[in-house]
Amino acid sequence: MLVLTRKIGEAIQIGERVQVKVVDIKGGQVRLGIEAPEETRIYREEIYRKVMRENQLAMNWEMGDVRSLTEHFENQGKE
Amino acid sequence: MKIATTRFGELEIEESRIIHMPDGIIGFEEKRFVILNPEKMPFCWFQAVDNPDMAFVVIDPTVFVPEYQVRLTREEYDRLEVRPDREVLVLALVTMAPDPGKITANLQGPIVLNPESMLARQIVLEDGNYGTRHPLFAKGEQRQARVNGTAKNQAMRKVAAQFDSALQSHAAL
Repeated sequence: MLVLTRKIGEAIQIGERVQVKVVDIKGGQVRLGIEAPEETRIYREEIYRKVMRENQLAMNWEMGDVRSLTEHFENQGKE
Repeated sequence: MKIATTRFGELEIEESRIIHMPDGIIGFEEKRFVILNPEKMPFCWFQAVDNPDMAFVVIDPTVFVPEYQVRLTREEYDRLEVRPDREVLVLALVTMAPDPGKITANLQGPIVLNPESMLARQIVLEDGNYGTRHPLFAKGEQRQARVNGTAKNQAMRKVAAQFDSALQSHAAL
């Protein structure tokens, strides 16, 4: 991993089109300003990973669970 | 065209019903999907065309959370090729469980589909209003749950049928 030291107001340039600037540093938090092409998707890493992990969980399901859910509905409808 | 699926066997699908996801579902490579509702159940499946094993249970989130909204950026509208004043379909991926009380929907990472262009994207919402594990059937008063369940069942069937007809009418164009 490349590690660089930057001060407030300084930036790093990634390739020709992406720039990440340190906007502010306060109480252990760093505010970053990012300039990138419109089509670049930028996410907070933990949120991106959370969605990815849920996608993986969502792919594992049993037809039996779906059937019992459907029956659950059907029975409710009859009562 | 014929597609192979692990859970539903071999299916004949019109090419115009194939949904294209240029960026795929986050964490997966697959780019082409179809919405299936083979047994007229109150939800649909999002089946990968190129991977028989890959199918998600999907629902219309507004059936469960009426105020649910997805705000797209200009860029997202453009990338889905949404024409002005046209509507998009929003699907939520469901994480199933044997106990209905533990079934959740991912409201933070919905799939947005433009039925006109048949382009779709999974959007990650950063505003913190919705999570990835939203319980679909909240535990509450039994009677209330029963009423809700019945209404939801009907609403979901209607939505599943609407997805079907929306996609078919565009396929016919």
